Amino acid sequence: MTSTAPRTGTAPRQSLRTEILEARPVNLDGFVEEWPEKGLVAMESAFDPAPSVRVEDGQIVELDGKTRDEFDFMDTFIANHAIDVASAERCTAMPSAEIARMLMDPRASRDEVLAVTRGLTPAKILDVVKLMNVVEIMQGMQKMRARRTPANQGHSTSARDNPVQVAADAAEGALRGFAELETTLGVLRYAPLVAIALQVGAQVGRGGVLTQCALEEATELELGMRGITAYAETISIYGTESVFIDGDDTPWSKAFLASAYASRGIKMRFTSGTGSEVQMGNAEGKSMLYLEIRCILMAKGAGVQGLQNGSISCIGVPGAVPGGLRAVAAENLVASMVDLECASGNDQSFSHSAMRRTARAMPQLLPGTDFVCSGYSSVPNADNMFAGSNFDTEDFDDWNTIQRDFQVDGGLRHVREDEILQARDKAARALQAVFAHLDLPPITDDEVAAATYANSSNDYPFRDVLSDLKGAQSVMDREITGLDLVKGLEAAGFHDVAENLLTVLRQRVSGDLLQTSAVLTADFTPLSAINDPNDYAGPGTGYRLEGERWEQLKKLRHVTSSTNPETEVG
Amino acid sequence: MTTPTATSTLPGRTVSLREIGPARRGTREDEVVVAVSPAFAGHFSKTIVDVPHAEVLRQLLAGIEEQGVTARVVRFRDTADLAALAHMGAKLSGSGICVGILSRGTTIIHQKDLPRLSNLELFPQSPLLDAAVFRMIGSNAAQYAKGESPQPVPTRNDQMARPRWQAKAALLHLKEFECIEAGRGPVDVELVFESSNAG
Repeated sequence: MTSTAPRTGTAPRQSLRTEILEARPVNLDGFVEEWPEKGLVAMESAFDPAPSVRVEDGQIVELDGKTRDEFDFMDTFIANHAIDVASAERCTAMPSAEIARMLMDPRASRDEVLAVTRGLTPAKILDVVKLMNVVEIMQGMQKMRARRTPANQGHSTSARDNPVQVAADAAEGALRGFAELETTLGVLRYAPLVAIALQVGAQVGRGGVLTQCALEEATELELGMRGITAYAETISIYGTESVFIDGDDTPWSKAFLASAYASRGIKMRFTSGTGSEVQMGNAEGKSMLYLEIRCILMAKGAGVQGLQNGSISCIGVPGAVPGGLRAVAAENLVASMVDLECASGNDQSFSHSAMRRTARAMPQLLPGTDFVCSGYSSVPNADNMFAGSNFDTEDFDDWNTIQRDFQVDGGLRHVREDEILQARDKAARALQAVFAHLDLPPITDDEVAAATYANSSNDYPFRDVLSDLKGAQSVMDREITGLDLVKGLEAAGFHDVAENLLTVLRQRVSGDLLQTSAVLTADFTPLSAINDPNDYAGPGTGYRLEGERWEQLKKLRHVTSSTNPETEVG
Repeated sequence: MTTPTATSTLPGRTVSLREIGPARRGTREDEVVVAVSPAFAGHFSKTIVDVPHAEVLRQLLAGIEEQGVTARVVRFRDTADLAALAHMGAKLSGSGICVGILSRGTTIIHQKDLPRLSNLELFPQSPLLDAAVFRMIGSNAAQYAKGESPQPVPTRNDQMARPRWQAKAALLHLKEFECIEAGRGPVDVELVFESSNAG
């Protein structure tokens, strides 16, 4: 499974203990020395600028040591759109230690902190979080997370792009608790069918789960506008002008794309993360966290409600340098402390070591974030077309146990086998009906049966890929929309699923999902920073895992009954 | 997932590239250019998973020659952008086909009439490329040069390549960039193989 060859050679004799240590999975991970001159450093670099800001005639004319004529387009965008001009000089002049203390101190309310952070420059924000150790960062996150109730997001993909699998796994994922589910493809042309499968499966599992399909930007937008998907996330931004230009983009082009989603009431967030610029060789000598803070403020300036960050697909880079995971925790905190929704990473294969994988998630799981994982693989990692996540289906029971151990809400729960089988079967049958209604390549009863009991894509009959691809193209050619899916579900007797999907679609008219950190509850109430604001104010306040939800999370696969220890409960 | 067998073949064999003169447009239609990056078989001697550059070249050239096609190795000195050097290499190639390779092993088969950021075949996961893959790449490039349509070399995927290799790849990338000599054009090179005693 691993890509590494064993280390060989004619080295001197090793102790037996060293041999055991050499064989530990953690030693398959890659680690490198820092190289600050090139930006290969997490967050402590002598080459990052010192904070400064100067305002003249209502305009920022100096930012972090550069005057306006020296600005690159990131500086310009941030100075013009992300920083509150009225408070910039006053807030940036505050001692960094005082701001860092406000972030941790429960007596400073979230709103009081926001009144300060909206006037800070990128270098000032870096200066503040550099003072904080990882426990202090977690304490800050606990208060600054925008939505009071934490949640989780899942990946639902298939190595064969099999829509039947995606529907069944989406239903199970929704039932297990993911508030958002996303998919992507091996063969991009399959996208319309897989996006339909994700939407239908999710609404079977739990009405109100939001879905998206990560694609190149034009198709992703089109699927969103047609109501086949409900939100978008993979709109990548970068911390240096050179990397931005490399992708034929600017902050303005990304902001324009964001407004296209907003114009249809579709939820969206940007994506960024530490390590991407140095990975592409254009970090311009700045630390990973400094560049990520520029991304976060760019997102803020573009007016999007949220950001997926936490290194994401470049996690191998901060993961390999000293203090890298502290920087990753800090970047999540910075997104939250400038009032953005934060979908906080933990979404890419990160380590060979189970201990490191678990430890990596603690700074997000323990304080809670808007989405602890911005992609927990709700399929086996071999089926994960996002190149593998930090957690997958094999980790479900471990995750549930850790939630129960620490009494923290990581967004998932244990679900009984009979409920899962029922949901998987129903999702496959609902998709079968929708495909028939839309005259798409048929789904056989054998496929439905396989979906009910399957683990991975290997457990399904092969589909006729060429017919599927023709069908996928016809979905685009015939301009099929979310409403067509609703009609197909209703016509085939899946009234409840049709109703669920119609209610999700209706949200784009009200625009409630454009609010920061919005998700839909099981009764279709939009839960966001507006009506579920994080009110943490110290011990005994804020979100507490208690009541009915805590009773749910006490359940595991095997718990011995206290009334009759010869049996198990659940 | 099979793992690359790093130094299993011909341990201790090294290669150096002796510059002959400026690379010009080839006239032989049965020629494939192998375009190598600034630090290949120079500052660096092996790929990210320790496949010696000598072995990489030996396999690529063998793959090309077994198709009855001629190989010409060209060193690029002013860019370490794989698409750029391979596209320029394709324009120098008599057949219009080029295999481009970076020091860490990332490889591409390019054709002169394609857009720069397109390709015939791309092998982006350098840790998964071993001797056998390089030979198949050479063979496929030669078949394209003959106007044939070979089956693409099977691509490999390993989700754990990221934690193992991502940061080292970044480091190698940065080092290779430091070896760029701006303004110096591509040169034809002669391969000088040497046996070292190290193995």
